[in-house]
Amino acid sequence: MGHDRVLASLNLFAVLQNLEELVKLDPQAAALCADWNVSMSFSVLNGPAAWIEFGNGSCTVKKGWDLKADIALKFVSCRHLNLMFESKRPPIIARGITRLPFLLSKFPQLTKRLEYYLKPDEKLLETDELFRRMNTILTLNTAAFAAVELASYDPVCQHIASAIPQGTVLLKILPDGPAVTLFIKKDGWQAQKGDIENPSAKMLLKDMDIAGAFLNQKLDIFCAIASGDVAISGTVPMLDNLGLILDRIPLYLA
Amino acid sequence: MTAYSHEKSRALFERAAKVIPCGIYGHFSPAPLIPPSDYPFYAESGAGSRFVDVDGNSFIDYMCAYGPMVLGYAHKKVDAAAAKEHKKGSCLSAPAPVMVELAEYLVDLVFGMDWAFFAKNGNDVTTYAVMVARAATGRKKVVAIKGGYHGVAPWTQGLGHHGVLEEDCGHILRIAWNDFDAFASLVEKHPGQIAAFIASPYHHPVYADNQYPAPGYWQKVQKLCNQKGIVLIVDDIRCGFRLNMAGSHVFFGFEPDLVCFCKAIANGYPISALMGKGALLTDAAKVFYTGSYWFSSAPMAAALATLAELKRINGPELMLAFGEKLCKGLAETAKSHGYDLKVSGAPSMPYLRITDDPSQMLHQKWCGLCTSMGAYFTSHHNWFVSTAHNETDLTDTLKIADRAFEMLKKEKR
Repeated sequence: MGHDRVLASLNLFAVLQNLEELVKLDPQAAALCADWNVSMSFSVLNGPAAWIEFGNGSCTVKKGWDLKADIALKFVSCRHLNLMFESKRPPIIARGITRLPFLLSKFPQLTKRLEYYLKPDEKLLETDELFRRMNTILTLNTAAFAAVELASYDPVCQHIASAIPQGTVLLKILPDGPAVTLFIKKDGWQAQKGDIENPSAKMLLKDMDIAGAFLNQKLDIFCAIASGDVAISGTVPMLDNLGLILDRIPLYLA
Repeated sequence: MTAYSHEKSRALFERAAKVIPCGIYGHFSPAPLIPPSDYPFYAESGAGSRFVDVDGNSFIDYMCAYGPMVLGYAHKKVDAAAAKEHKKGSCLSAPAPVMVELAEYLVDLVFGMDWAFFAKNGNDVTTYAVMVARAATGRKKVVAIKGGYHGVAPWTQGLGHHGVLEEDCGHILRIAWNDFDAFASLVEKHPGQIAAFIASPYHHPVYADNQYPAPGYWQKVQKLCNQKGIVLIVDDIRCGFRLNMAGSHVFFGFEPDLVCFCKAIANGYPISALMGKGALLTDAAKVFYTGSYWFSSAPMAAALATLAELKRINGPELMLAFGEKLCKGLAETAKSHGYDLKVSGAPSMPYLRITDDPSQMLHQKWCGLCTSMGAYFTSHHNWFVSTAHNETDLTDTLKIADRAFEMLKKEKR
């Protein structure tokens, strides 16, 4: 798979799903979409597709097609979709042209808010605890969902994934979460927000700061494990190989 | 039995983390020691089968420095031989006569091998072996086993590991252990392109049960290699001199072209060796390969003394016998508490695993508990025994294991 195909999957299924959490946890984002009642689909010709639904102050992001979406955005290629994510090229509006004001002004405000957390200002990361917390939560989710896409489409990750035993991996920030769970099966991987009992392997991150440093590639993970900032147990080869996959996220989502 | 504490180890590690990548890197990293809080990070001294950490805790050592310690720490004969050589000048502008003595000794000792080349680490000689095979055959591809470990050079690591290029492992073809048909298929698929087949004498991966060769496996591999001009390399770095003094290929009844030794060869002194058949001597000579300290004479003297002593006391037999008693005792202790402790691999370097929990968390806890009471067990890697392990060690170890199982059971309740 080419870089654009992998990136398109990451944009749709690892980045966009963060809107769910953003709307839940960020008051500014929640206020923005409090009265939205709209669904949108994103689909690439012969490529990946996702849809988003806003209603009752919440947001749901799903894989696949929604033929009845109020707004249907089409892309002629993965590259086209990726350029839209960089605000460099508009989508083709196949349905919902009457919602143009929403598309041009309201929705971008929400995605800007997402970008604010996911492409963080280094100073804010250092000084603002709430900002750091949001960045960490969203980056944790991005990592889990990105791992699924990379294991499916990135050639190097496909190779790594082929060596990972089947089972479940829990990544959890202590003391009470958030957490993500990866279900690793031969026929495909799945990510899920939240905890699981009796995983095959687990990685427990001591607090938000340690998790933030780990997810932003600023932690010597071997030191962190030795010092107890990160606790691993269970089927360690799952974690070793998952780590290699997570380390490839910045090649796409720098 | 009270659990050890590790204040000095942790304080040192804090300092190390600031100035050394990983704090402690490589196979000595505490990361796979689960939980790390149960393990010492720094050792102060060792004698016989035991070592003492910087906090003064004493451990019956079942890792033996991950293999090099084979006669016991601070072994008098070996240390005296090394010290005598060192005093003469261990790193001079020309090799010492002991290099020739050691090569001759090894050629006499190891079955079927006609020459020896010395380096420092296992990785040095596995890489050299592959280079010799490629030089001899003019071919690129090397067949290795999935999960097999041959060092840290890029060709030995998998795609996706940091610092490893696709090109580094592009000619390494991995197949499952004991799958002769897979090897035969590769030979057919890549006619005239396979330079070498490399594997350890039996399969000893980490985090998984170890596996002996299936009946006839090595003999079939050898036959096909001989027929097709493929160099058969045995990585005897972990097993060497723990199964048979003449090489582990004698233990399993086959004849390789090249054999890699390290670990047990010099009881902890830094030296490794590649040995080969006479037919490959000229090719080996053509490959330029060297290192600043590869001619140090003290480790060579240590190797001579170690091998002579191992031979005198029949070290492999002693270790296999002790390992049998240890594994049997531990399995019985486990059973008495309602647990199943599975033993695989050679008794002189066994891999143990509590099967009651497939995630291995239970096994990790048990190994951690045993270590925190003085029996140094790891949960991810095969263990090693030495000729210094004795009946007192066995009794003490079984007591510790018993107590650890008891604690596991209590925790479960």
